[in-house]
Amino acid sequence: MALEGTLKDMSLSDLFQVFRMGPKTGVLFLACTDLRAIVYVAAGELIDAAVVCLPDRRVIAAHDEAVIQMLLWDDAAFVFRHNPAVLHRPVRIRHDAEHLVLESIRRRDDLRSMLPYHHVTLDTCLQLSPLSAGRECSVSLSVIQWRILSQVPHHSSIRAISQATGMPPDQVIHSVLELMAIGLVEIAPAPRLAQQPLRRHEMMVTETTDHAPHFAWAASVHPDERAGAHERRLPISRSLIDAVMRRVRGL
Amino acid sequence: MQILKIVVTGAYAAGKSQFIRTISDIEPVSTDYAVTLEEERALKRETTVALDFGTIAITDRLSLYLFGTPGQERFDFMWEHLSTGALGYVVMVDSCRPAHFAETQQLMARFSEITDAPFVVAANKQDDQAALPPAYIRRRLGIPAETPVLPCIATDRESVKQVLLALLRLIAARVQD
Repeated sequence: MALEGTLKDMSLSDLFQVFRMGPKTGVLFLACTDLRAIVYVAAGELIDAAVVCLPDRRVIAAHDEAVIQMLLWDDAAFVFRHNPAVLHRPVRIRHDAEHLVLESIRRRDDLRSMLPYHHVTLDTCLQLSPLSAGRECSVSLSVIQWRILSQVPHHSSIRAISQATGMPPDQVIHSVLELMAIGLVEIAPAPRLAQQPLRRHEMMVTETTDHAPHFAWAASVHPDERAGAHERRLPISRSLIDAVMRRVRGL
Repeated sequence: MQILKIVVTGAYAAGKSQFIRTISDIEPVSTDYAVTLEEERALKRETTVALDFGTIAITDRLSLYLFGTPGQERFDFMWEHLSTGALGYVVMVDSCRPAHFAETQQLMARFSEITDAPFVVAANKQDDQAALPPAYIRRRLGIPAETPVLPCIATDRESVKQVLLALLRLIAARVQD
């Protein structure tokens, strides 16, 4: 039992946000070519970390610097396992995760590779992240980041923020990616797709006179192809749904 | 005999078959075959290639049928058949495998083309303390606030009941007497 994936599936900055949300306690292992890394997480906070190089397991970075080094990796396999024993380990990391993420951003050339699964364009709509509400962290935002953050509730798209602030679109996108990496803003979900479905959903119950197993019926074919068999389709009533709910509650 | 139908869908190894097995009155009918691809075999030994089928008897004359779709995309031609006439659907997500999020997003987009039936998202494997929280899964899948994203343990009947009840509440809101 573990959370597993690669940094292409889920970035380290996202993992740190999830640790804080939990809050999680456990050990995060990462493997990137001949490098191996470990991060200890206690009640959502990063408390210790190291990066070693195989085959002799020579330590090449420790504590805060180790986390920053990991944040510069574009891909690595990771496994996070819950482990309450971590709560008893000494704290050797001085800064919180958001500070370390921002520090790694300053050392990066390409911020997009840090969040590979987010496609941020001028038309991307943003919202303040509810995940960060109420938490305390010592992150220091730049004036530009503050300007953009303050615009998010009023201008949802990046294009609108760029126009409102007079900042170049590229600069706005870059700062938005920074704010996403530390979990302060997120991409707003699109409303449910307005495209026309193949069929409008019809609330129907099927009545059959056939007592054979009905397995084939429902699995099968388009209703029109079944018409004329020992069945008919009737509009569904609220009382029918209420009966189903009562039965499910009683299971 | 009156029949209602709900579809349980989701990416590969998300827990669809287990969800149906946990709540069904009958031993579910499954069409599982040995997994052939090496990378998929690392996750589980058998997979559903056509459908899973379970039932919940509501009364002597009314049954709820549960259909699980095959998870692998190469069987997506089944999805439209299975969703025909369904009251709604449950999208299962493995909360411990972010690698499956992209596939889940594609699946949800495909279902929204097939049907506008109501649906809920079940964030499965929440009994693992390392699991991603539903709030993060909502964010990653881009699910709007009006669609419930529920914690789920597919092996736990109470948890499966809560997911089904959430879906039934959405369905009830659309039905008028």
